[in-house]
Amino acid sequence: MWDLFKAELLRLRVWALAYAAVHLAILGFLMRVVDLAQQPLLVYRVFGAVYALTGVLLGLYQMAGYRRPTTWLNLLHRPLAPWRIALALHGAGAVLLAVGVGLPALLVAVGQETMTARVVDLRHWLLPLAAWLIALGLYLAGSFAMLAPRRVALAALVLPLAWIVGGASGPWALLVQALTVAWLAALAVIAFKPDLAAPPRHPLAVAAVALPVQMAVYLAFLVLCFGVEMLWIMQGSHPLNSATAPAGGAIETDRMDGRQRLLAGLAASDDPQAPLWREQVALADVLGVGWQLGAGLRRQSLTNVAPMEFDDGERRVRWVFSHDRMRLEGYRLTDSAGTGELGIGNDTAAFPAPALPAGTLGPLPAGDGLLIAGDTLYHYVTETGRILPRIHLADGEPLAGVQPLGEAVAALGARALTVYDGRDAADADVPLTPRLRIPVPGAFGDLSAIDVVERVDGYLVSFAFTAQAHDMRGALPYQVVLAVDDDGTLRTIARRDIDADFPALYRYQAWWPSPFLHALREGARGLFARPDALTATQCAPVPRAIVWLAAVLAALAALGALLLTRNRAFSPVARAAWIIACAVVGLPAVASLWLLYRPQERLDTVPLAHAAAA
Amino acid sequence: MSDPDYVVQTVALSKRYGRKLALDRLDLQIPRGRIHAIVGANGAGKSTLFRVLLGFLPPSAGTAHILGRDSQRLTPADRGRIGFVNEEHTLPGWVRVDAVVRMQRRLYPRWNEGAFAEVIGHYHVLPEQRVGQLSRGERAGLNLALALAQSPELLVLDEPTLGLDVVAKRAFLESLMYSSAAERCTVIYCSHQMEEIERVADNLIILERGQLKNMSTPEDFCARVTHWVADVPFKGPEPAAVPGLLQVQRLDGLYHYLVLDQDETFAEFLRSCGARSMQSMPVGLDRAVNGFLAKNHAAPAAA
Repeated sequence: MWDLFKAELLRLRVWALAYAAVHLAILGFLMRVVDLAQQPLLVYRVFGAVYALTGVLLGLYQMAGYRRPTTWLNLLHRPLAPWRIALALHGAGAVLLAVGVGLPALLVAVGQETMTARVVDLRHWLLPLAAWLIALGLYLAGSFAMLAPRRVALAALVLPLAWIVGGASGPWALLVQALTVAWLAALAVIAFKPDLAAPPRHPLAVAAVALPVQMAVYLAFLVLCFGVEMLWIMQGSHPLNSATAPAGGAIETDRMDGRQRLLAGLAASDDPQAPLWREQVALADVLGVGWQLGAGLRRQSLTNVAPMEFDDGERRVRWVFSHDRMRLEGYRLTDSAGTGELGIGNDTAAFPAPALPAGTLGPLPAGDGLLIAGDTLYHYVTETGRILPRIHLADGEPLAGVQPLGEAVAALGARALTVYDGRDAADADVPLTPRLRIPVPGAFGDLSAIDVVERVDGYLVSFAFTAQAHDMRGALPYQVVLAVDDDGTLRTIARRDIDADFPALYRYQAWWPSPFLHALREGARGLFARPDALTATQCAPVPRAIVWLAAVLAALAALGALLLTRNRAFSPVARAAWIIACAVVGLPAVASLWLLYRPQERLDTVPLAHAAAA
Repeated sequence: MSDPDYVVQTVALSKRYGRKLALDRLDLQIPRGRIHAIVGANGAGKSTLFRVLLGFLPPSAGTAHILGRDSQRLTPADRGRIGFVNEEHTLPGWVRVDAVVRMQRRLYPRWNEGAFAEVIGHYHVLPEQRVGQLSRGERAGLNLALALAQSPELLVLDEPTLGLDVVAKRAFLESLMYSSAAERCTVIYCSHQMEEIERVADNLIILERGQLKNMSTPEDFCARVTHWVADVPFKGPEPAAVPGLLQVQRLDGLYHYLVLDQDETFAEFLRSCGARSMQSMPVGLDRAVNGFLAKNHAAPAAA
């Protein structure tokens, strides 16, 4: 086994070294030009895609060299178990990827740490490992694609999608990657057998292969739905791109300006003052409340939503947030020399949560900036070079954004919109005191727009929850209008149910084909992910008609399994297991059964001809 | 149940590719020891048979045992007892010869260094050469040396001399015939080269359309085929009426008949058809096998 491993290393060593050299040169060049540790998410995704492509191509190329029948026979016909041969070849592939992908990234991290004053945190040291795992996972998927029967060859590629949809961050994300790689390694080993066309035999191996095949079929269905939707858009009658949005629907609500939204909300009100408020809204300025963060920041998350840095133009210093130190670390823009750390207050205390620059506010002195860190808003004062807390939300409520609201300042948290007196905003020494707290009447992840009109004695506030109108993970669209008095009295004066624009069949298209696989997908999304109040939604219950549809499809799937297993070589137990699996998983399981197992070869079914190729 | 006296046993073994039958209810028993040649036209099912026997292809019906083990359940230890060399001589081209030898030496517990040296001595192969730098003949020799040094109980050679020049072919055959390791194991030799079969084979197995057509010594098979030359004025007998006919040709006014399993009574038949004179002569293995295989060779339907 060791000899096979060495021979395989020898086979591709020149390519791996050349790849590593080019990779190092590109990263080295980029390190000179930009801070690679502070790039937006898109940049990391591009790198990840390149590593994934590298892995797939290596897996395909390496196994293509052995796939031909005579070569395969020579490789496997030896006194060595196939799994050990697989381990030797794939082990060599893993080492080659470590050299080509992981090592250059690690060297660049070392270079950045030793040659620059830029921040290199634990999360950055983990990036080469993440890059290697991406390449390794796709390499194993490529290997499976080359070795497995063509009908199921692409199934393994569905597993790495867990990395894209997954909500885990930092080391937990690496754990998700590692588990996926372990599954893909199992697939590669299962495919590594003398008869490449034979389906797996052991029940665990069957499950390990069948599940990705089912997920691939499920995904193919969703892609097909997407394709149909594209055709619908091209045809011009799709609600999202039609000139006039369907009346009373979520798209119409999203396209409205703040005034129209408030008026639409008030139109559904039976409050006696509603006509008066409608007149006021028609005349008054409508203020929109936005937010800077769409999701909470996690300590040691491997990538940045946005660069975690800001510049002090006065001092010509760039401050970069360090997840290790939980403070900002500075370097001069003129000569890149380090300028030390910056924390909270005079004693530069550590931030309680990762801090992201959040722009500025109108009343602040020029050059001053804001930082959002967890439940607190901080104010960077250019004049003193200090950072001071200005707004603190109670009970650890994550802060999504801050912005002026007329004369006041509004801070939007995951649970409430809090209004502060704007007169104190410019005075850095004074923490802002809340004047009004308006609870968000729904889940933050469903929220799409907040519109506010100032009244003489308070506010009219409209919350539109249409963000997940077309996605079953969120609430069915609705709008709530609140009347808030200056003394804090709060009344719901309207609740408008909004049409989803699409039939339930569309909204629940990810559910009814296979509630089991949908649950599996959601499980993958939530695996090792900490709950985030900024992305939390209120999932609406599945309509009864859709539940019935899923049940009918499950029954059809069981029937399909019953018919398909008749002319396939199954033991009674295996046959029963497949029928039950098809009833639970649904039609994708029937498709996997059909793809994995061919009808039993018989000599009496069709007229035979002689002289096949020898 | 398999019999330990046989290295290969198949019972009603069939393999179907779509609508084609590569192996057609094949009952084959190859006894231990000696060199057994398997011949057959392209498509006769030889390679399919080997792939089924080595567990790389499942049978559509029937059973196949090799060295007493169900071919679909071979263990790594079983594979260590079976050597296999095919026509492509697939070895990793980027690896040095000495590294390949080291690998095999570690892999096979019954590695026989003497057997390796005995065979590789027929070739000018240097340990530091990469496999990719060897000629096709040298690679064939290296493959044979590696296979014999494994001290296999059964050695399967699937058209090992295909594509080799005359010199390389002779070197390969001599290294096989004079190897003491080859004497100790059963060899199954598949080839289209009848002169090779004639030189090495103790037993001749003919496959045709996936069925066993002959199993005897090459000499016995040759004795079954005779070549008759007859002077028949006018039109000779209809081919369909000629008993045991394999081939018929008319050259220089004489009819040449290649027939199977015919004794002196065939002369009576020719006489009855008006032959004025006739004579029979023995044929070589090449002619006998070719005539036998050509008899049922597919031909386009008559226009």
